[in-house]
This record gives sequence, structure tokens and C-alpha cells, in this order.
Amino acid sequence: MSKNLRIANSKFIDQTSRISFKFDGKTLYGFKGDTLASALLANDIHLVGRSFKYHRPRGIMSCGSEEPNAIVQLGNDPSMTEPNTRATEIELYEGLEASSQNCWPSVNFDIGAVNNFFSPLIPAAFYYKTFMWPANFWKLYEYFIRKSAGLGKSPTQPDKDIYDHRYIHCDVLIVGGGISGVMAAKTAAKNNLNTVLIDDKNILGGTTLFQQNESFKINNSYSNDWLKKEIESLNSLKNLTIKTRTSLAAYHGYNYLLARENLTDHLNINEKKDKIRQRLWKIRAEKVIIATGAIERPLIFNNNDRPGIILSSSIKKYIDYYGVKCGQKISLFTNNDSAYETAISLNNSGVIVNSVVDIRDKTNSLMVKQAEKLGIKIHWKSTVVNTNGYKKINSIEIMKLSDDGVAVIGKKIKEECDCLGISGGWTPRVHLFTQSGGKLKFRDEDNVFIPDKSELNQISIGSCNGDFELDEVIKNSLNSTNKFLNVDNNDYKNLEIISSKEIDKKNIWLLPSDKPMGKTKPFLDFQNDSTANDIKLALREGFKSIEHVKRYTTTGMATDQGKLSNMHALGIIAETAGVKMGELGTTTFRPPYTPLTFGAIVGRNVGEFFDITRKTPIHDCHVEKKAEFENVGQWKRAWYYPKKNEDMHDAVQRESKAARDSAGILDASTLGKIDIQGSDASEFLNRVYTNAWSKLEIGKCRYGLMLNEDGMVYDDGVTTRLGENHYLMTTTTGGAANVLSKLEDYLQTEWPELDVYLTSVTDQYATVSICGPNSKKILSKIIPDLNLSDDEFPHMSYKNGLIDNIKCRVMRISFTGEHSYEINIQSSYGKSVWEKCFEAGKEFNITPYGTETMHLLRAEKGFIIAGQDTDGTMTPVDLQMNWIVSKKKFDFIGKRSLYRSDTIREDRKQLVGLLTDDPKEVLEEGAQIVAETNKKPIEMLGHVTSSYYSPNLKKSIALAVVKNGKKLKGQKMFVPMKNKTINVTITDTVFLDKENKRLNA
Amino acid sequence: MFLINCPYCGERDQSEFSAGGEAHIVRPKQPTELSDGQWAEFLFMRKNIKGVQLERWNHAHGCRKWFNMVRDTSNDKIHAVYKMGEKPPIK
Amino acid sequence: MLNYNSPIKDSKNYSEIKISEVEPTVKINLRGKNRDFITKIGKELSIIPPADPNTSSGNDNLNILWLSPDEWLIYSNNKIDQKNIDDLEDKLYNSISKVKIGSVTNVTDHWIMINLKGSKVFELLSTGCPFNFNKFKNLKGAVTQTLINHTDVIIHNKNNNDLNIFVRRSFSNHLWSWMNDSAKFI
Repeated sequence: MSKNLRIANSKFIDQTSRISFKFDGKTLYGFKGDTLASALLANDIHLVGRSFKYHRPRGIMSCGSEEPNAIVQLGNDPSMTEPNTRATEIELYEGLEASSQNCWPSVNFDIGAVNNFFSPLIPAAFYYKTFMWPANFWKLYEYFIRKSAGLGKSPTQPDKDIYDHRYIHCDVLIVGGGISGVMAAKTAAKNNLNTVLIDDKNILGGTTLFQQNESFKINNSYSNDWLKKEIESLNSLKNLTIKTRTSLAAYHGYNYLLARENLTDHLNINEKKDKIRQRLWKIRAEKVIIATGAIERPLIFNNNDRPGIILSSSIKKYIDYYGVKCGQKISLFTNNDSAYETAISLNNSGVIVNSVVDIRDKTNSLMVKQAEKLGIKIHWKSTVVNTNGYKKINSIEIMKLSDDGVAVIGKKIKEECDCLGISGGWTPRVHLFTQSGGKLKFRDEDNVFIPDKSELNQISIGSCNGDFELDEVIKNSLNSTNKFLNVDNNDYKNLEIISSKEIDKKNIWLLPSDKPMGKTKPFLDFQNDSTANDIKLALREGFKSIEHVKRYTTTGMATDQGKLSNMHALGIIAETAGVKMGELGTTTFRPPYTPLTFGAIVGRNVGEFFDITRKTPIHDCHVEKKAEFENVGQWKRAWYYPKKNEDMHDAVQRESKAARDSAGILDASTLGKIDIQGSDASEFLNRVYTNAWSKLEIGKCRYGLMLNEDGMVYDDGVTTRLGENHYLMTTTTGGAANVLSKLEDYLQTEWPELDVYLTSVTDQYATVSICGPNSKKILSKIIPDLNLSDDEFPHMSYKNGLIDNIKCRVMRISFTGEHSYEINIQSSYGKSVWEKCFEAGKEFNITPYGTETMHLLRAEKGFIIAGQDTDGTMTPVDLQMNWIVSKKKFDFIGKRSLYRSDTIREDRKQLVGLLTDDPKEVLEEGAQIVAETNKKPIEMLGHVTSSYYSPNLKKSIALAVVKNGKKLKGQKMFVPMKNKTINVTITDTVFLDKENKRLNA
Repeated sequence: MFLINCPYCGERDQSEFSAGGEAHIVRPKQPTELSDGQWAEFLFMRKNIKGVQLERWNHAHGCRKWFNMVRDTSNDKIHAVYKMGEKPPIK
Repeated sequence: MLNYNSPIKDSKNYSEIKISEVEPTVKINLRGKNRDFITKIGKELSIIPPADPNTSSGNDNLNILWLSPDEWLIYSNNKIDQKNIDDLEDKLYNSISKVKIGSVTNVTDHWIMINLKGSKVFELLSTGCPFNFNKFKNLKGAVTQTLINHTDVIIHNKNNNDLNIFVRRSFSNHLWSWMNDSAKFI
């Protein structure tokens, strides 16, 4: 059935290498160099999808990124399938499988098409209006709407492809490798500028590459032959990097741009393997030259959306580049000269051109004369009022336009055709320019927005700057580029250029029909299925701003972002509202220019590289002991060490008991450590901690609480005085980087007079903490010559020691309430010291414990964890830690805030202990606490911040913050859960060893 | 993504920096002598200008130095950078 | 005896890139602001800490990298034993920190040094580093602090296509794996 629509000599297609592919399950053939769209057209397949709302049959309409209709699902592997790809941009490869989207059960027979017959009932914002009421029915409506409106299927399995990111810094970036881009690249690179030229196609040259027409000549050669030589000459330029198949996605401030390079999408399935599929280039360019060309506009008339209606310039590309005839008997419909160029190309390739319907009265440009000479029939001052054919166009109806262009007159002529080329003029691709913050101006003579002012170091050249004639493009591009780059390239100065000039211009945004408006379907946004009538309805309903009309009608909001529809929408709005287009402004173009895959955005940050991980020097020992790990910030910390058949609860109970009964060992290397030196170090600590530091003796340690200026607890830790002017501060694991940065901030900005230097030493030392009644005996085996008597080495002091001749610092400090030591040693020996402690502790059943047990043990003692029991709203007073706030000190960070009217309120939430009436009941962290259960609404008095089952106390314990909690000691409270209410009593925060006897045990 | 000229290290990508809010808010020398209102003025009140604003920035992943910046918040244009303790260059 | 353990202990070859951990080289962080500090360092080490941003100074044994207007990193070119590390730290600590003209902190184990060699090392860096190496790559001795795949690093341009990268020990395994994974695709 399918005809071969390929002509014999196609310069850019290798007709010797045949490629087989599947579309909607049917095996078809194309050639190397084809896109999916060109191969389908060569097989006489126009119908590729159904429209979004009315499910009307839709066909391939363009040949590039602006394609609204030929949106296909690529592949059917659940991990690799990709929805919403443009058939016009997919390069054909052996084994490609694609299918139509948005149709069920098939593109040829679509049940949703019944919507088409009800379309008068589905006006703009139909869904908004109809499914609003009753509100709770939306869930039901949504299910069916989504099912019938679906734009493709998402993959259900993780993507197997590899993606990558690269940074690149260049002097000049040129976006677009058409004639002006190629000239600019040569100019830049020849002048020793580090230049990058990118183009989204597989070869450079743009549309000039296949422009072989008598009306366009440079130095007596066809423009395409001249350009080919220019492109060849780029190869010898050392400073030039050319990236093809690379499409610019986003243009941000400071000339920071993102471009996506397709590396393997065009390769056969087995050639793709183990290669990077797409690479996202992060480009920082000194200067940017935009040479992105222009997009041909459609024309807006009744039934302008049938398969077989194609942009005229695309028909030209299909015949001149791909060697594919879009039809056998083609009609053209235009308001400008470019359709004649298509007519000439078609004629040269032996395709019948029925006629050109031109809305203009008459024109005599070089190209029109050339077409007339070839005998091409022209209907002047005429318009197409209707098209016929359901799955493919089969005829058009032509009528004469009235003088004012708002009505049609005379007799209707019917012309049979199998393809209609349309051309409504050209729209400069200003997307990137506006993305970068550039302002546009409107040019009335040919109704285009062109770049005006930009804050950035950039220019636009060629047709994206509004230069549409070949001679203008060459001259203006050259002048702008020379000026912009501050160079003088004479290569192109004395070119002899023949270029047909468009003399007469005429534009009608919405072409009239012989039918009343309500009976016509002049489509604007083909993908979202909005018509000119929808826009007019929105205006009648009172919408004025273009941004509002766009959202109400969804014009320009599909995956093509209205590349074809925006100008007409603006034109119709301006016309209907009676304002000038320049005053109306445009909607904002936002990145990405074409959709990006998630893979390209994420790059290689997947799997093991999803997030940075930090490991302690002792990490391998924990792995060996089969520890489960917990993420604490970026750190991997040993969480608990389950033995055979143990779950987390069992392991934590065992570890907690061992640490109190005999000996436990913890890897505390993740704590932040800051080395503080300088003659004002003591004064500095006075200012950053709430307590006093001047009198701390050398060799002693002290716990400190750090506030924000608002008086809220920020971080805590133990600081040791190593020397007269030398301290070692520890911070919480998660707070390390922020604390250092905050302290540097104060030193650099508020107190530059202080002689203090901070250096992070977090990674310099491994910290092994041993605790429990036998910790002293274990330490004495490791460092035998250290006097461990309480007099010589009391709690909250430190000693220098040597382990096998390697220096270490031993702090006698405790976060568990047990007698305990922290050995700090150079990280490289951390693992070895851990193993040594283990060996020495064997006789005492030394038990490694993780963060969960550490949290449990400290909760038994009522020690807070900054960030768990505090949340940025707790003052030291709220935490019942008044003892650590110095009254004598003149000032410290946050001091003044401690007696603001809000912070001295008595009924603030305060830290308390909670005991459950049933000692076996363990509360959930985060659970709410209430005083009475009957009243509605129940007042929430606070919540549980830490909760554990204590094996040492044999009961459940919890810390909580409760409104006015300090005064509520002994009071009964309730913790309402989903299925029950738990009775609790407010207690002191210290549950175990209130007298601190164990510290010296 | 800005390109920021660190007064110490030169031009660097924004990802190396962190922003620190409005500049030239000096911590009162004697906070204890301030009323709640005066203290709140220092603690909470920020101008958040649409237009040219003086800001604090930190070259967090470089030299770790804090510095000031004159930036137009309406178009992100950085007019100048200057060191801590220096007066803002005339706009 | 305690065993010495570096986190990576490896060296890998790819096409025109060699990645290896170099250990142990002494690393000492210096901070100071006044002229006394500079003179003292010069006297003790016979190298003047560079005043110019993003540069280094050095001799056959030691390098001093500029980190900020009042901060420098010393590191040795060659492997060095523990005793010599301690001695160098003590010598500097006593002549600088003790007399209150700056600070001296041993960061030998804080930083891991990874050496990158080969004609494609800058291509490797471009996969995750926002820094502009266009000028840097031709400046022998140049230093920069920046990010590689969101991880803080110090990069020292030791020689033509021969870089030393300093990364904090806890991040080093991750960065190592990441760079090796990157190198596979260069």
C-alpha cells in the first residue's frame, strides 16, 4: 500500500545503507541520515498522533524542535522508554521502535475522537469550568481525564543509560551553526579566541546547506556550495571546538549556559552500550553569539490541522535534504515569498505543484518571477477557507479575500491535493535571548519581535535578529561580529551576493472563512488543541493579560512551549482588544528550550554517587563487625552492631547494658574539631559560649553551649585547653562546618581586633571513646605509663600520651555518664588504635556500640542532643540548663536575647523527662502531649523529642518539650496515639545516677 | 549562576560562595543597654530591597573570607565587591 | 606497633590519566598576619610564604601554598617519617604559635593528597569542577581552592599536566571512586 516517496538523488541521505525500524508495531525502512519523521513521510505515513483534547488526527508538521504534533513514545523497555520525543529530531537507527501517543486503542481508530464531535461543548477552560463541582468529585474526574489525555508513558524502571556533565569555559560561544553562526565562528577562531560552536543538528549549515536556488548566489556559486566550503575551512582552526547534536537548553545570567549533547541517541542499540548517552555542558562564556535562526509560522485558518498540512520550509527540507516528497500533488498557501522557494524546489524534483495561494495582491520579487517562469499557478489575494480529508488532507477550498482582508468573496474553488504547505512568515528564535533577560522590541513592518537590550555580553545575528534576506544576513552578521569581538575579519567584505528580496508584505493573523466563526476550527496551539476561537472567548470572558489568556486557554503551554502558536495568539489578542502588538508584550520564555531528560540533569550523581559520603578512619572495622550504618549529614556512622538473629532493638539493648556493666567502645571521629590558637583565644571562647572560659586551667576540659544571637541553642561540645593560647573545640557531627563558618564570620566581621586563628582538624584525628566501669583498666593496658588515678587524671581533664611512640591526646570526658576516655590520635593510626582497644578489652567483653546506643545512654542521663532535643526555638533556660549561662560575663553571642519579653515568658516549652505509666510502653518520638483528652479542640502542650527503652533502668524513658513543663513535675499527661492514649508522668530529665557516682566508678 | 569576583581570589563560580544577607548591620557594642525594641531592630529587621543592595558574601569553598557586594536584586547585576571594613564604593 | 593506614592505597591508569594517592607527606597549616610571621617562616624553612593569591613557593623538599591572605599550607614533596613530621611541627609551633605571631597546626592526616598525571587531567576535572583552568593549566605552581563534585579541594599545579589534589580524609574515598568512574569515560 505504501508508496516510495524518495527521489533518486538525495545528497544528505545515504541510500545505500538501509535501516529498518518499527512504528506502531509495523516494520518500515529508511536510510542513514533520516530522521524518524523523514523516514515516515518517505513511507507515506503522515498520521502520527491524536490531538490532546479533541483527539483529532495529527500529522508531521515541521522538521525541527518546534514540532507540535509528531510527538512519539520511543522504545518500549520499561527502563529506557522515553515519552514526548519529537519525531522530527530523532535520528533514525537500526532497531528503533516508536509509537504514537495519546490515542487508544490505536492512532487509526481512537475512541477519544468522539470529543471532536462534541467540540462545541469543550471550549477554553472546559475542564476548569465543568469539573469544579462538587469539589470532592474531582478525584473521580481526574482519573478519567488523565487516562484519556495522557501525553506518553513514563518509564517504570530505573534508567540504565549513563549521563555526564562537563564544565567548559570559552571566550566565545556561538549557538547555531547556520550561515551566520559559521561565519562568526570562523571570525572568532581566526582571531585567536577560544571558540565553541554548537548546533542541535548532526551537521552544520542550517537551511543554507540545501539552498540551491538561482535567486541566492554568493560569488557566482549557489549559496549552499559557498557555505559548504566555509564549513570545510573550519576544520583547520585550532581554537575552535564544534559540538553538533548539541542543543542549548538554558541561557542564564553571567553568560552561564546549559547545553545537552546527544552522544549515542543516533547509534544502533548495540553501539550505544557502555557509552555516555547524553552530556550536559555547563558553559561559561566571556561572549555569546546567538545565531539560532527563525521558525516558520503556520497560517491560522479553518481546519488547518489535518495530517498532510506541513510548514512550507519543512516540505522544502524534506525534498532538498532528505529526498522525500511530502506528497505527489502539493498545494502551497502563503503570505510571503518563502513558499515560492519551496515551489521551485518541488518543481525541480518533479513534484506537481498545484498552485500557490497567496494572500497578497501581487508581488514581483526575483523569486516569485522565477516561479512564474516555471509555470507555477498563483491564486493572488486569496485564502484557503477550508480543508477536507479526515486522516489526511485530500482537498482545499480557496476563495478571494476582500480588500480589508476580514472577509472572503466570490466563488469557492476546490483544489485536490495530498499535501498543503503553509507559510505565515518567520519568527526569529529569540527564546535564548529572552531567557537571559534580554528585552525585545516589536518591528511593525513584518510583525516580529527582535532582540533589543541586554545586560549581558552577547549579540544575536542572522535571522534570529530579524535579518531574513541572504545579503542582509551576511553583511549584518559580519559587521556585528567584528564589532562585538573587536576584530576585523575581511574575508567576507567583498562578496558578490545575489539575493531575492521580499518586496510586499501582508499579514492576517486569523484568516477569514465563509463559515461563521463558531463553526470553524482554526487551530493555534496544535499540541494543546486550542483554537483562535478559544482566545476570543477568553477575551470576551474578561481576560486581558497575555499571561492570563495563555494559562486559561493553555495556548503555548504544551511540551513545545508554543514555538509555533505564540505569535498568532498575541496577534489575535492584540487585534481583538484593539491594541498594538508591541504594547502587548510577550509571554516569558523559560528554560529549557527543548525538554531535557532527567538523566541529563542528574548526570553521574546516581547510585553510589547520589550524595557525597564521608567515612571515618575506622569505617572498615565497623563493616567487618557487620554494623548497620546511619547517615548523619554526609557521614556514614555505625548505627548498631547486630549479632546473629538480632534486630535493632535487641542489639541496642545488649550494647547499652554492656557499656554500663563493663565496657563499651564508640567511634566518635565524626565530631567536629577546631584548633584554636592566638593570644585572645580565651576571650574569644568567652564571647561564643554562654559560660566563662578565662579560668579554665591548661589540661582541663569544659562543656560549652553556643547560642545564636536570638538566644536559641545552636550547638554544644567539649573544649579542651591545650596551652596558654591553644584550645581544641569539639562540635556536634552535623554542626561542624556551620560552627566553623559562624565563628570565622564573627572573627572577620565583628571582632577583627581579636588575635585568634581557627583551623579545622576534624579529619586530622580519629577519636576512639571507651566507657564503662572497666574503661580505666583497658586504657591502662594501652598506655601503661599514664597515671590514671582520679587525683592525677580527674574527670574533665586531658593528658598527652604515647601509644607505640605515636602521640595521642586522651580526654577524660563522658557523654554516657560512665567513667570514660576519648583517645584522639592521627587518623592514620585510628583503625589500629581501635583494634588495640578491642584486643585489650577482650577480657572485659568490650562491646562496640553505635549511635543509637549512644543516644540511649545519654538520654538515661538527660544529656541533650542539639538538633534532636532542640529545634532552634529552645533557650538554655528552656532546657533547664541555667547553670551554664554566666551571669557575670558582660556579653556573649545571644545573651541579650535571653531576656527579651518572649524568652522570659514562663509558659514557654521546656525540656522535661517523661515516664510512661506502663514501663514497657515506649513512646514515639514526635508524639504530641496533652493535658486532657475530652476537650475539643485539644491543646497541644508539647511533643516527645527522645524516647527509648532503657535496659539499665528496665523501663521506658523519654525526653519531651512541654509548655510550662518546669512547673509541671509530677503531673499526669496524655499522649494520644492512633489507636490508644498513653498515660505519662512529667519527671526530672535525669533518669540514672543523679549523683554522678558512675563517673568515678 | 553568578560569576563572583572574590576580592582575594578573583573571579569564581557562584557555587563556591554562600550568601550572608544584608551588609553593614553592626553588632551593638553594648547589647545589654538596649531596649527590646532596639535589640530587635538589630536582630530581625532587614530591608530586603528590590534594587541595589549591599550584601555579605563568604567565599566558603575558597579562601573562606567574608566580603561585601553591591548587587542589584532586580537583575542580579553585581556592581562591585569590597573587603570587610571598607566603605561601599559609590553606587 | 600501631599500623599506619591511609584511606586509598591505590594507583590507577587510564588512557592519558594516572590517579594515585601519595602518602605520607607532611602537611602543616599556617596562619598569621604580620611581617614577623612571614620573616620567621622564611627563616625556619628558607621559603617565604607567597603573598600573591593562587600561587605557591617552594624548594626541593617543601611547598607553601597560598590559601588566603592569612593562611598557607605547607606540604612536602616526598614521603616523610613520623619523627620528621613531629619535629617540623614542633619547630614551627615553638617559633610561631608559642610566641603569639600566628598559628601552626599539623594537618598531615586531615588532608589526603591525590596526584593526577597525564594529558587529560584537566578534562577529568571538567567533569565536576566549576573552576576555569584555562590560565591555571599553564601556570606552574598555581594553586586554587574549589569544588570537585561538590567536595572541597585544594589543587596545586605541580608541573605540566601533573597536579596534586588535597581532599579531606573523610571525603577522600568518595572523591577517589568518583574520579575513577569519571576517568573511565574520558
